[in-house]
Amino acid sequence: MKPVKVFLDESEIPKQWYNILADMPTPMSPPLHPGTGQPVGPDDLAPVFPMNLIEQEVSTERWIDIPEEVLEKYLLWRPTPLYRARNFEKLLDAPVRIYYKNEGVSPPGSHKPNTAIAQAYYNKAFGIKRLSTETGAGQWGSALSMACQMFGLECRVFMVRVSYDQKPFRGMMMNVWGANCFPSPSDKTEAGRKILAEHPDSPGSLGIAISEAIEDAVGDENARYSLGSVLNHVLLHQTVNGLETQKQLKKIGVYPDVVIGCTGGGSNFAGLCLPFVRDKIHGKEISIVAAEPTSCPTMTRGPFAYDFGDTAQTTPLLAMHTLGHDFVPAPIHAGGLRYHGMAPIVSHLVKEQIMEARAYDQIQTFKAGVQWARTEGFISAPETNHAIAAVVQEAERAKEEGKEKVILFNWSGHGLVDLAAYDAYLSGKLHQYEMPEEEIARALQAIDGLPKP
Amino acid sequence: MTAEMSTDPKRYDHLEIRCPRLGGEVRFSYCQEEGGDLPCPRVIVCWQPHFPVEAYLKEKLTPAQWDRLFNQAPKHKVTSLVELIEAAKKRRGLSD
Repeated sequence: MKPVKVFLDESEIPKQWYNILADMPTPMSPPLHPGTGQPVGPDDLAPVFPMNLIEQEVSTERWIDIPEEVLEKYLLWRPTPLYRARNFEKLLDAPVRIYYKNEGVSPPGSHKPNTAIAQAYYNKAFGIKRLSTETGAGQWGSALSMACQMFGLECRVFMVRVSYDQKPFRGMMMNVWGANCFPSPSDKTEAGRKILAEHPDSPGSLGIAISEAIEDAVGDENARYSLGSVLNHVLLHQTVNGLETQKQLKKIGVYPDVVIGCTGGGSNFAGLCLPFVRDKIHGKEISIVAAEPTSCPTMTRGPFAYDFGDTAQTTPLLAMHTLGHDFVPAPIHAGGLRYHGMAPIVSHLVKEQIMEARAYDQIQTFKAGVQWARTEGFISAPETNHAIAAVVQEAERAKEEGKEKVILFNWSGHGLVDLAAYDAYLSGKLHQYEMPEEEIARALQAIDGLPKP
Repeated sequence: MTAEMSTDPKRYDHLEIRCPRLGGEVRFSYCQEEGGDLPCPRVIVCWQPHFPVEAYLKEKLTPAQWDRLFNQAPKHKVTSLVELIEAAKKRRGLSD
């Protein structure tokens, strides 16, 4: 019987988080205050974050101790198992060994509690009584709801109305954990009331929900706001994942050639990858791949190549199935919108070419996700399917090149409340757009001569 | 998912796609108003493969709206948060 899982004993859980800012090869630009143009200072953020988290946000200490109270809560589901995907390997029939870290075993079913628990703890330690946040699909809202309950904090979640109606189970989970989940726009804030007065049927948006959550916290000395992705301290808390993985791989004498994670705001990707980025900065040969969404199915008909992020050819090269930077309408690139909403740390590392970003379309990702479910059993969150699509691609390349590879990826969460999305795929509601051959030929000329990954 | 060309200004509104920001299915009519008076910044990335959304929006948006939406670099998240904090303070009648 061949082993499938690698466990760590509870006593082996990492006792410190890893801060990549200590090892950044080049400095990151500081965020600027929109009013003064000067770097944002701690006092600017104090209305929404406790000072202990603001200190972490700007810290350049390499290792930051995980408080005992946080470790105690982590132990409810951590250390998470590292799996070998033997069944998926068999399906792909390529010279690869595939390992994945199962972050879906947390109570809310994703990696999000890694920072939710830490943020709830630090707010509690600072004397805060209530946290407020926004959520889209509800993964983050449910994670923070659970974390707040564990530390005796009140929690208010503003969930984008369209998602609130679509995914009632997420709202119910938040209620079970004792939080108040409001569809946004709501009548709880001035921002929400104004929108409801003008558009009573507004479906809401993330922008509105963030405005409401911040307004709900600002001005109440007992309340603060919490964010589940993008910021430095969020990525810091997530590194418990990658640090555990390194210990697990060491136990079986394996080191990956490729590390993959899906990216939205960048937190689950960073959680697994940043400890390996540290290795890479210190000379280890390893590829680190951020798998991001695109809805350009036809691009898979183009070659897998590097393409510039803008028509002026100044932004980072992005490896993807591409038809060239002049095919995608210029406005997409002009504002760097491919990186819209991405964690500054991840954007910076992509720019420095320490990691690479690859784009996958929704058909490709659901196909990979269904293959995964039918071999490994677990139904992945649709976002996680981007990472699985990247794994499939790496395996195909290894087969073509006849090279053995060890692939590691982050299985960031389950998709048990996202089954409507699978239904859309399985019932054929998602279609692949077909572009005329002459248009493809014209577009391909644009990437002639660019380097290939 | 592709739509036939027609002159009806709402001809694409019913089309549906998975929103990578929200993590759920939304209609194009939603994407057009996601930013209040402006579409979602990702609208072209998401929809261009399905119909000529760029041309459609160029007809619909003023040059100033187009510029605001597509020709501005995304703000640092912390900068956006500071803006939101200041706006929230004003709404709540708080001063520094």
